Amino acid sequence: MLLLLIYLFFCILMLGIVLQYIPPGTDTAFLGIKQDYVELPWYLPAFYVHVFTAIFALPAGFTQFSRYIRKKYRRFHRTNGKIYVFAILLFGAPSGFIIGLYANGGWSSQIAFCLLAVLWFWFTLRAFVYARRKDFHRHRIFMYRSFALTLSAITLRAWKYVLIATLHPHPMDVYRVVAWLGWTLNLAIAEILIYKKIRK
Amino acid sequence: MKYLSLLSITLLFAACTSHTAGPDADEASINSLQLKLASNNLKYATPMKEYGIEGYYTGPFVADEMDPNKNGMYANKITISIDSLVNMQVYGHSIVAGNFRPFKGSYTHEQALWTFDVSEPGDNKYDGKFSFTLMDNTIWLEGTWVANDKNLAVSSRSYKLEKRDFAYDPELALPEDVTYDGVYGSYKEDNDESEVITSDALKFNASTQLLKKEDIENMYKADLEVLRNSIYARHGYSFKNRRMRYVFDNYVDWYMPVSVDITADLTELERKNIELIKRYEVHAEKYYDVFGR
Repeated sequence: MLLLLIYLFFCILMLGIVLQYIPPGTDTAFLGIKQDYVELPWYLPAFYVHVFTAIFALPAGFTQFSRYIRKKYRRFHRTNGKIYVFAILLFGAPSGFIIGLYANGGWSSQIAFCLLAVLWFWFTLRAFVYARRKDFHRHRIFMYRSFALTLSAITLRAWKYVLIATLHPHPMDVYRVVAWLGWTLNLAIAEILIYKKIRK
Repeated sequence: MKYLSLLSITLLFAACTSHTAGPDADEASINSLQLKLASNNLKYATPMKEYGIEGYYTGPFVADEMDPNKNGMYANKITISIDSLVNMQVYGHSIVAGNFRPFKGSYTHEQALWTFDVSEPGDNKYDGKFSFTLMDNTIWLEGTWVANDKNLAVSSRSYKLEKRDFAYDPELALPEDVTYDGVYGSYKEDNDESEVITSDALKFNASTQLLKKEDIENMYKADLEVLRNSIYARHGYSFKNRRMRYVFDNYVDWYMPVSVDITADLTELERKNIELIKRYEVHAEKYYDVFGR
């Protein structure tokens, strides 16, 4: 329960970040230091698709892991799951890959974000396919992995906040660190949970 | 009306002197200056250096009386400019803390000693009266200043200023000294920390080389600010903002405030660098230590 409240708190923060991009501009917030790229015809569309669709992956965290909802409201689980899957496969991950190509911090963070986008897509796709095949054991495993990467939206920003508050690193140094730390640790935790809870 | 025309003459002289670059100035700029003045066909067309004491005097402007309960600045760098001596009246101006103020008054010249008593117009909160002296053939101007408003945080100051010509030199570099102190006003009691200026601020000269985003994207906000404001400092800009004024007034020997508006003097390269640096400053200010962006 406490975990859900914390999650709600961060989701509201994320919504706040999304809302600052309404109305969409070429100079808003993060885009202020992306002026070299906003002129590329595909950068801004990819950026805004990412901002406004990837957020639809977050509500799944409230409902899809609840055994009660899964058993009692199957259709709800399915509908919500489809929103999650399509938000990622059609929009969030492909757009994430494109903006990842131009990530701040050079090749290291570019590889980190592009790899994140590819794995996010792959895990989500596998999870979806296994659900269609009614292989719920593997569906669960891959959803753990997929959602671990979804959470990186929050953990990346949280790590940045903590590292800066404690160590005052240079802005791009911390960005290079969290570009990796933000999702690899999540994935490691997901693997541990998979090992302990699902595979037993 | 009479006052207004006097003021405009004083301002004109200010403009003349700030563009007369002294002995090092190249021929072309002096010629263009004279051309410009001739075309304007004004009465006092030539900068008058009749007495040899006209010009800029720069140095620390130090508080004598300071109200501890008010947030005054102990010392600022000031430039006093003696613009002209006409009919036993002296006309000049001072530039300090982003404030350009004309003055006029009387003077005497006895046994090689010049004595001046001048007043600022009196329509600015920080106006007051200067009294200073100057010896023939020396470079030091010394004196005091008393505010009209005795309730100011600092109601009187004294100064010993050195005669100095001003010339814009894009090659001027920041000394390492700027990294020796915390950023003015940045101390926070709750965590006992201040912002610092690091050697990053000295890595580039933003007046001579076109900066790329890779050059500055990893810099702290204070370093970016110093890098950008060093452009203004080379042009003799007098800083209103205390954060930067403190740095340049106290740690940059070549810096002298001579103007409160230098936008027209910036080179194309400087403008580009300013725009780029400013973007990263704004970004650092809004997003460095917060969740998200």
